[in-house]
Amino acid sequence: MKLQANNIHKTFGGFKALDGVSLSVREGSVFGLLGPNGAGKTTLLRIINRIIRPDSGELLLDGKPITDEQVRTIGYLPEERGLYKKMRVGEQAIYLAQLRGLSRGEATMRLRRWFDRFDITEWWNRPVEQLSKGMQQKVQFIVTVLHEPSVLIFDEPFSGFDPVNATLIKNEILALRDKGATVILSTHNMSSVEELCDDIALIDKSHVVLNGSVSQIRRSYSKNLFEVVVDDGAVMQLTPTGGGSANDLLADLMKHHSIVSFREILPSMNDIFVETIAGNK
Amino acid sequence: MNNIPLVIRREYVTRVRKKSFWLLTILVPILLALVYAIPIYLALKPIDKSVILVADESGVFGGLDRDDMQRGDSRFVSTDGIEYRYAATFDYARRTMDADDEVTAIVYIRSRASEALPTDACLYYRRNLPSQQVRSDVDRQLQRILRNRLLQAHGISDDEYAMITGTKINLRTQDFETGREAFTEVKTALGLVLAMLIYVAIFMFGSQVMRGVVEEKSNRIVELIVCSVKPFQLMMGKVVGIALVGLTQFMLWVALTGIAVGGIQVANSDLFSTATARHNITELATKGDDAAAQMQQAADMSDLPQIVEGIASIDFGVILPVFLFYFVFGYLLYATLFAAAGAMSDSDTDTSLFSLPVTIPLLAVILMMPAMIDAPSGTLSQVLSVIPFTSPVAMMIRVPFGVSLWQLWLSMALLVATMPLCTWLASRIYRANILRYNILAKFRRK
Repeated sequence: MKLQANNIHKTFGGFKALDGVSLSVREGSVFGLLGPNGAGKTTLLRIINRIIRPDSGELLLDGKPITDEQVRTIGYLPEERGLYKKMRVGEQAIYLAQLRGLSRGEATMRLRRWFDRFDITEWWNRPVEQLSKGMQQKVQFIVTVLHEPSVLIFDEPFSGFDPVNATLIKNEILALRDKGATVILSTHNMSSVEELCDDIALIDKSHVVLNGSVSQIRRSYSKNLFEVVVDDGAVMQLTPTGGGSANDLLADLMKHHSIVSFREILPSMNDIFVETIAGNK
Repeated sequence: MNNIPLVIRREYVTRVRKKSFWLLTILVPILLALVYAIPIYLALKPIDKSVILVADESGVFGGLDRDDMQRGDSRFVSTDGIEYRYAATFDYARRTMDADDEVTAIVYIRSRASEALPTDACLYYRRNLPSQQVRSDVDRQLQRILRNRLLQAHGISDDEYAMITGTKINLRTQDFETGREAFTEVKTALGLVLAMLIYVAIFMFGSQVMRGVVEEKSNRIVELIVCSVKPFQLMMGKVVGIALVGLTQFMLWVALTGIAVGGIQVANSDLFSTATARHNITELATKGDDAAAQMQQAADMSDLPQIVEGIASIDFGVILPVFLFYFVFGYLLYATLFAAAGAMSDSDTDTSLFSLPVTIPLLAVILMMPAMIDAPSGTLSQVLSVIPFTSPVAMMIRVPFGVSLWQLWLSMALLVATMPLCTWLASRIYRANILRYNILAKFRRK
C-alpha cells in the first residue's frame, strides 16, 4: 500500500516538532526516515500510528484517509520499546498478537514458527526479565511482523543487536518487502540505509531537507570522483580535469594504461547526512 | 475491534497468578482468625500458678490481725492462678522469695503511724515482672479489703452496699416520630467499619492501578500497546481488571475467614455448641484474663441484649446496597485519577508526589472522621457526604443512622455525574503524559 503524509504540522507547547512535512512511500519499498536526534522522526511515526494527533495535515493510504482499523494493523516497532518483565515470553507475545487482532490459536501457531526460526523456542516459558536485550529485541521484532501487516514501521530496529542478528533482521525486512509490505525504517545506521532503503527522507529541524531515491541522491551528490585500477595493480582516485565527463577521463587514461576496473565513487549516505545537516545550520 | 476485554484479562490473570496475591489472600484470614481465637485460647489455657507473699505491717490487710483470720472479706483471697501466703515480716518474705522459685512477688504494706488507712503499697518482684493479671488482681484485692474496712467502720451492710453501687439507669435515645431507638454505639461502630473498608480498598487498589501504569511506562511497553489499544481503553481495562482482582480477593477473604472461624468453633464445640456460647465467654473472661477482659466488656451481660437489639434494628437491606454502590463508584472515581498520577510519574518514587493531590480528599475525610462520628447528621457530615470525592467514605459514617432520601440521591447522583468528568480528565492527563518522560525534571527546571 502506498502511504502518503501531506503537510503535517505538530507543535508541542510552542515547540514546532513538525512544520509542513510531506512524504510519500511507494508500495513494496523500504523508505528510510533519517535525521539527527530531536528532528521530529519519532513524532512523525507516532502521528502515522495515531498515537498522537497532528495539528494539521493528512495521512493517506492508497489515496484515502487511513481508517482506525488500518492503523491498528500497522506493524510498529517503536524506538522506546519494552516488555512486561514478569510475564512469560510466549504468553506475552500471544497477548500482543491478540491486541493486533490475531486469534489465540493463530497467534500461538505463528509464534511457534517464528520462535523456531529465531532460535529462541527454549525461552517460551521463561519470564522476560531473564532474557538478554538482544533476545528481547527479537521477540519485539516477531510481535511487530507476526500479523503480516501491509505497512511496517521500524524505529531503530538494529539497536542492541550483534552483527549476526542485525543481518538476520535485515534479511527479514527485505523478505517482508519482497512479499509486498511497505516499510518505513528510521535509523542512524547509515550503512544499513544504503543496504536496505529504496527511498529516503532526511528531516532536520522539523522540515524535510532531502527527499528521493537513494541512488538518485547519491548521484546528485556526486563529486565526479572515479576509482581506476590498471594492469600493473595501481589503484587511483581521479577527477576529470576542467569539468570533463567520465568518458573524457577514461579516454585520457586509455592512452597510457590498460584498465582493469573503472567505477565512480559516490559519497556515502553518512557523508551526505553530515554534509546536509551541516549545510542546514 | 474492542481490545478492552483482552486488557482486562491480562491485568486480572497476571495479578491473580502472583505469589503476593495468594500470600495476602491467605494471611489476612489467618490474622483475623487469630484475633478471634487468641482470647478464647488464653481463656481456656491453664493459668500458671504464681505465689505472692503478703507482708502486711499495717494489719489492715489481715497480716497482724489474728482475729480476722476467718473473715475472707478483709484478707487476701487466693484465686485459680494466684496463691496468697501471709508472711510475718518483710524480711522473712524476702528470704522466702530468695529461696523459693515459686514465689514471684511480695506485696508489702508498711506499718502505719496513725489510725488512718494506708495509702501506699508496694509489689516487690525479683527478675521477672509479674503479669498484668497478677498486678491487677493484687490491686483489686487491696481495694476490696480497704472498701470492706470502710464499710465496716461506717456500719454499712453488704446488702446496703450492693444496693447503692448496683444502681443502673438505661438511657435510651429514641426517635420521637417512629418511636425507634437510636442504638448510637452499634451504629457508630458499623459506620466506622464500613468507612474504613472503603477507604482502605480505594487506597489499596487505587495505588495498584497507579503502580501498573508506572510499570508499563517505565519498562517502555506502553508505546507498543497504545498503537493497538486506545490509551483510554488501556486505562479503563486496567481499572476494571484490578477492580475484579479486588473483588476476587475480597470474596476469598470473606470465605476463608468464615471457614477459619467456623473451624475454630467446631474445634471448640463444647464452648460454642449451645446458645450459652456468649455466656461461656463472659464467664471465661471473668477469670480475669486480660484479653478476655476486653471481650467481657463488649459482652457485658447487661449490654448484650442491647447490642443484639441494636444490630437487629439496623436496616441491612438499605446499608448493603448503599455500601456496594459507594464501594464500586468510589473506587472507579479514584482509580482513574490514580492512573493519571501514574502516567505523570517515571518511576515508583515519583508517584508519591503526583498522587498527593489525589489522596488529599481521602486523608481529609479521615481526619474529619471524629467530628463526623460525634454528629453523624451535623452540617459537616452532610456536606462531606454529598461532595463526590469525600462521599464514599463520609456517607458510610452516616448511613447506619439513616440519611434523608434526597441527600442520599443527591450524593449518589453527584458521584455518578462526576465519574465521567473525572474519567475524561484523567484519560486526557493519561494520554498526554503516558509517552512523556522526565516530567518531574521539567517541573523542577521551571
